Amino acid sequence: MSDPFHCTTCSDEGVPMVVVEVRPQGTALCEGDVEVMTDLVGPVEAGDRLLVHAGVALQRLEP
Amino acid sequence: MKFVDEFRDAELGRVLATEIAATVEPGRRYKVMEVCGGHTHTIYKYGIDDLLPENVEFVHGPGCPVCVIPMGRVDDGIALARQDGVIFTCFGDMMRVPGGCESLLDAKAGGADVRMVYSPLDALRIARENPDREVVFFAIGFETTAPSTALTLLRAKAESVPNFFVFCNHVTIVPPLRALLDSPDLRLDGFIGPGHVSTVVGGRPFEFVPAEYGRPFVISGFEPLDLLQSLHAVLRQLVEGRCEVENQYTRVVPYDGNPAALKVLEQVFEPRPTFEWRGLGSIPDSALKLTDAFADFDAELRYDVPGVRVADPKACQCGEVLKGVIKPWECKVFGTACTPERPIGTCMVSSEGACAAYYNFGRFAREREVV
Repeated sequence: MSDPFHCTTCSDEGVPMVVVEVRPQGTALCEGDVEVMTDLVGPVEAGDRLLVHAGVALQRLEP
Repeated sequence: MKFVDEFRDAELGRVLATEIAATVEPGRRYKVMEVCGGHTHTIYKYGIDDLLPENVEFVHGPGCPVCVIPMGRVDDGIALARQDGVIFTCFGDMMRVPGGCESLLDAKAGGADVRMVYSPLDALRIARENPDREVVFFAIGFETTAPSTALTLLRAKAESVPNFFVFCNHVTIVPPLRALLDSPDLRLDGFIGPGHVSTVVGGRPFEFVPAEYGRPFVISGFEPLDLLQSLHAVLRQLVEGRCEVENQYTRVVPYDGNPAALKVLEQVFEPRPTFEWRGLGSIPDSALKLTDAFADFDAELRYDVPGVRVADPKACQCGEVLKGVIKPWECKVFGTACTPERPIGTCMVSSEGACAAYYNFGRFAREREVV
């Protein structure tokens, strides 16, 4: 997070992330070495852009 | 970055500000609440309010999950963190929120094993790695965060992880909005609605705002031009005598939300009969608890949670700030006894809190000069 005033807790925050590697059991590794649950957006593949909050992808973003 | 740079274009921002100035009717005052703390943060980071006509005012709403947690629930969390053998996990900003006597950070300094996590999944991993300890996750947040807790609990159940527990403090956005709209000391003309809560719940749950209370409601993104466009949409509705839910953030928010997320929420959570909100009092059906199917993971059933109720500090006016009755700098302790380093009220703890946003982006000095 580049913004020093940013709150990691904010319940209305979503961070765009790019999938690097698909992992088993509905998870994916995203850029920045972050493991993300992808259950709510369906199957993903490397390069997909996701809106992530608290470790879960909430929506797909346009490439 | 796509969808970021173009929404920070200064020239387009000035054009929108001119359009806003041309839209409003002279002699009429407009108070528009941005519900979400993330919006408050953007407004002060980019100085959006400085671009507005003097008769248009932002009122900062209760959408920061840290700011609305009552002191008693923090004390309950600290009591859980002090249990023998417990690893207590929470999001970063929660560690600094003052309870009745101390914060989780103080409890950690006193020997409690309190750890910061970015996701409940991290807390579940800690539980797997420490089978001889019990791991409690302090779950807070609106409908945006609740799916993450729900998915983590589904995984814990599927794997039969016996030492993972959730202290559930998830809240829902509609009941406090209704409470605000019913509040007699509130005067609002319209709302800028939460963007990422809406990725989960969609636009329909907010339709009661125009239908029952006659206020426009525009779901907004988080970049400066998003906020200006959304404010313009609210003002245009007011001037044209319209009143509806609009979605400015269509690049992320489908009007029906995320049905898969809503399904897991229903599977794992049910409404609490009532929940206390900082500054807003007890609001019926405004929070979530685990369903019976997840009782084995419920920290409130596993441990003896004190359930203390602690009155907010007398000097603190977070409640009035959260209702938009006063501006942060009008609070008696703002910037003196209450600062981000030593907060008294929760609005000064989280950077999404209205007081911290004012303080961090220099509003303190500027507003005092005006006085």
